[in-house]
Amino acid sequence: MSRLPDVDPQIWSKVREAFAEALGLDDDEVTLESTVIGELGAESLDFLDIAFRLERAFDIKIPRGGIEDAAREGVDDEDYEVDGVLTPTALTRLAEAMPEVPAEEFKAGLRTTEVPELFRVATFYNLVVHLMAQRLQAAAS
Amino acid sequence: MGVRSANLEMALGYDDGQGFEGVAEVCRLRLGDVAEGVVMGIPMDPLQLLADQERALVRMERAVALAGRLDAVGLGSLCAVVAGRGQGLAERVAPPVTTGAAATAWALWRNTHTLLEARPGARVAIVGSAGPVGGAVAALLRSDGVSVRVDHGRTARRLGLEALAGAEEAVADAQIVVGAGPTGASLPAEAVAPGAVLIDVAIPDTLVGTPARGVRVLAGEAVIPPPGWRAGGWGRLYQVFAGYGPTQVYACLIEPLVLAVAGRSEPFAQGRRLKPDAVVAFAEAAEALGFHPRLAQGWRGVPGRRLRVRRRRRDRLRAALVRGRGRG
Repeated sequence: MSRLPDVDPQIWSKVREAFAEALGLDDDEVTLESTVIGELGAESLDFLDIAFRLERAFDIKIPRGGIEDAAREGVDDEDYEVDGVLTPTALTRLAEAMPEVPAEEFKAGLRTTEVPELFRVATFYNLVVHLMAQRLQAAAS
Repeated sequence: MGVRSANLEMALGYDDGQGFEGVAEVCRLRLGDVAEGVVMGIPMDPLQLLADQERALVRMERAVALAGRLDAVGLGSLCAVVAGRGQGLAERVAPPVTTGAAATAWALWRNTHTLLEARPGARVAIVGSAGPVGGAVAALLRSDGVSVRVDHGRTARRLGLEALAGAEEAVADAQIVVGAGPTGASLPAEAVAPGAVLIDVAIPDTLVGTPARGVRVLAGEAVIPPPGWRAGGWGRLYQVFAGYGPTQVYACLIEPLVLAVAGRSEPFAQGRRLKPDAVVAFAEAAEALGFHPRLAQGWRGVPGRRLRVRRRRRDRLRAALVRGRGRG
């Protein structure tokens, strides 16, 4: 089971446009459920382009490795991965950080290098919403 | 002195991390009296370039301003990827900005045909077909009637090809493999069949590990410049550092120069989409100026005829025996 976000149409429209432009797709080819690598055909450098377009569209700064950093927070390296393979703790943390990814995809034996293959467009939508809320919070305080 | 173009390249070891804006000219390249190309160094290493794209954009804009009068701007290596693959810079500068992808696709396309002359009817596999270069090369070869397999389902659907599970299945029985992925190191070397030739433009190389004996890996974007080409001492040194040796240039370097001579206001390549028509237009313009891609290994060219499939003596003897039995 995955939990897709309830979308704000204005934010979604910009997120979809950023993906379509960065990956040379038509808007209707981009859905929240699409896997960014497997279905949309993104390569590692494309993530850079996606981040650039999202940062511009929403006036935010996307931290490099942001999702993984959130999952790693408070966990020692050896409790997170062993020889590149994610530990059960890491899998639980990642599943919490990426609710839009079906839980069964966080299976034993998953390698750290395979995590980007799980990314959905919704992963980035959620990240944008989170960073925008952070920015608003910072402005308010 | 004809038209002028600039190529922006990442230059290592320049940035002091304190905001030093040491954008500098690296070398000048000349094509007779027709055109002059200046290579400008952007003082950022790959991590800096990738971590702060807005800062990279400011430096690229500064490099364009320092280069003087320009009719076209090209983006080398990582400069072609940051800030929206040329779109961010195009919003800030007047000359058309082109990424070099059309030239890379042109070299791969022509080199694949050179190999096909030596190996008629060979099956070609494209690795990195979801990217702009791989997608355009696949489309061009398909329209040329070449038997093509691609590693990505979306590209396969667009071109009406069989959808395969991925790169390993695509290359399984291919005699020619085109490595067009931008970041390389994506395909286990053992997936490539012995006797196959890999034409590679990925940085680093497409293969992970050492290929089987008999697999040849060739550079896919070496270009021989026309007789009027003058690189000068710094230019030759730059070509050597770029990895192609003093007598070859890499394809994307000439894209802005060709664009400037063609007098086009529309770039050949910008953003993620690369139209096959743009590659054809680039091919015509570049070849009219006397540029030609060639298959290369290191600094040297490898003629296609040297890459014919050679049947081993044992295979020939076996075939003769089978024929003999058939007659008996």
